[in-house]
Amino acid sequence: MMPINGADTVWILISAALVMLMTPGLALFYGGMVRRKNILSTLMMSFVCLGLVGLLWVLYGYSLAFGADKGGFIGGLNFIGLNNVGQTPSPIYATTVPQLAFMIYQAMFAVITVALITGSIVERMKFSALFVFSALWMTVVYLPVAHWVWGSGGWLAKLGVLDFAGGSVVHINAGVSALALALLLGKRRGFPTDAMEPNNIPLVVLGAGLLWFGWFGFNAGSAQTAGGLAANAFVTTNTAAAAAALTWMIISWIYRRPTILGTVTGAVAGLATVTPAAGYVTPLAAIAIGVAASIVCYYSMLLFKTKLGFDDSLDVFAVHGIGGVLGMLFVGVFASLAVNPAGANGLIAGNGAQLLKQLIGVLCVGAYAFVVTMILGKLIDITIGLRVGQSEETVGLDISQHGERAYGGLLR
Amino acid sequence: MSTNSGDTAWLLMSSALVMLMTPGLALFYGGMVRRKNILSTIMMSFVCLGLVGLLWVLYGYSLAFGADKGGFIGGLNYIGLNNVGQAPSSVYATTVPHLAFMVFQAMFAVITVALFTGAIVERIKFSALLVFATLWLTIIYLPVAHWVWGSGGWLAKLGVLDFAGGTAGKAQGLPSGFHGCQQHTYGHPRRRDSLVRVVRV
Repeated sequence: MMPINGADTVWILISAALVMLMTPGLALFYGGMVRRKNILSTLMMSFVCLGLVGLLWVLYGYSLAFGADKGGFIGGLNFIGLNNVGQTPSPIYATTVPQLAFMIYQAMFAVITVALITGSIVERMKFSALFVFSALWMTVVYLPVAHWVWGSGGWLAKLGVLDFAGGSVVHINAGVSALALALLLGKRRGFPTDAMEPNNIPLVVLGAGLLWFGWFGFNAGSAQTAGGLAANAFVTTNTAAAAAALTWMIISWIYRRPTILGTVTGAVAGLATVTPAAGYVTPLAAIAIGVAASIVCYYSMLLFKTKLGFDDSLDVFAVHGIGGVLGMLFVGVFASLAVNPAGANGLIAGNGAQLLKQLIGVLCVGAYAFVVTMILGKLIDITIGLRVGQSEETVGLDISQHGERAYGGLLR
Repeated sequence: MSTNSGDTAWLLMSSALVMLMTPGLALFYGGMVRRKNILSTIMMSFVCLGLVGLLWVLYGYSLAFGADKGGFIGGLNYIGLNNVGQAPSSVYATTVPHLAFMVFQAMFAVITVALFTGAIVERIKFSALLVFATLWLTIIYLPVAHWVWGSGGWLAKLGVLDFAGGTAGKAQGLPSGFHGCQQHTYGHPRRRDSLVRVVRV
């Protein structure tokens, strides 16, 4: 067993705190974008994950994702209730920090992944249904997929699929599931004819700022040590976000005006897209990744929402799903052993096979998430029902689901 | 020197903290303007994260911290982060990856540009601001950062001490903002208010 490294421990713990902050950040990011009658319910959908997933992760989540491998598909029960997970390092994962630190860092990823899904089903999903869905989804989608990609012995890991900080486990997983759930649930009443004006864009910007900040823990923390690789991931993260924010702003300027909502959405698209690549590519490759992220995600959004009429309300699939796919494939293009000797070379460095592996990872995770989410959603629909009643939707979910409203007093 | 992981953790965390100052500044300024201008004010700061974040990587770091040219500006040896890697610099922050020092400095440039927007809210054209910000970063921030913090910078050699940006970050913002205000206040009596506010700050 390796001794504990103090600096690495500090870095993982602070990164865990940064990733934790992303979930309230996401709550505000989403909450500001819905109509004023639904802001609290939207905040609640994300925030409750800190409670629900944070607890389930300790009880059995960590064990099923990172416990002793069972056939490459799932972890065993040896870490159930954090049994055998203590202050000494794991011999396998993040071997220089207490295993509890690695465990809690991973917990934050599970929390935000579940919260990410909720953006597609706001303003119409029953809270009770979402609560049950979240628990089931984490158990039968997130935990296996995390094991496939990051677990020791996971079958995608053994295949050589690279995902530095969660392009497949977090973003494809959440994005595809968000799409499936939105399709099952149907459109919001009035979509797409009514104007559904965001209630508070400054709140969206605050959320995006916190997400950007927290993403440094997400990506640079995934180096699991405080060294050169963490610095590289930090720089690629910031650079991709910067390039993507500017690119989306320019696109929105070409069509109308340079909107702040577009700029922050671009930043999030860039952050999601660079996530799987952050520790495998150079900072200059991150510029290309950021620019491509905004162009592809922007037109995906138009295609899904305007052309195909999907009511993926806050564009989770277009931004995170497509961004995750793009980022996973970019790993296969730009990855370089010079950046990370534990990774692989990509297409540009002469290893086209890596791109194929990345594609397999994308397809398997995407297909699994889509099919299982459809089944889970259907099961919940025929038992407790997915959607609120018509009048509940009209009055707003804040009052109908939670008995509260965000802005007291008379409507002006 | 070899990399010290404690120093690296500290500098990366500090970079993240300085990054968060810019959205924080956006809200600080955004809440102070009239309601019809809040998003434009927020945008003026937020866009710096994108614009300056990108320009810094492309040439900003090199002109500020590249090999000294006569004490006035850095050279082109770090252009596009060429030669800036995971090993420490031999000159700056010698115990952390060079990339970590680079991105820490990037966050300073971002917030410095965002800071002066507080002087010109509610009336500057966004396109003009973007062009101005690009030019200002290039011909004011980068040389001044080099003078004060660059190895061989003439103010640094003179012995001027600036621990974290009292000159490079703040004193530049004040005259630039003040000048911007003066130009725009003529013929707008109510703008005197914002002039007073800037001088107070």
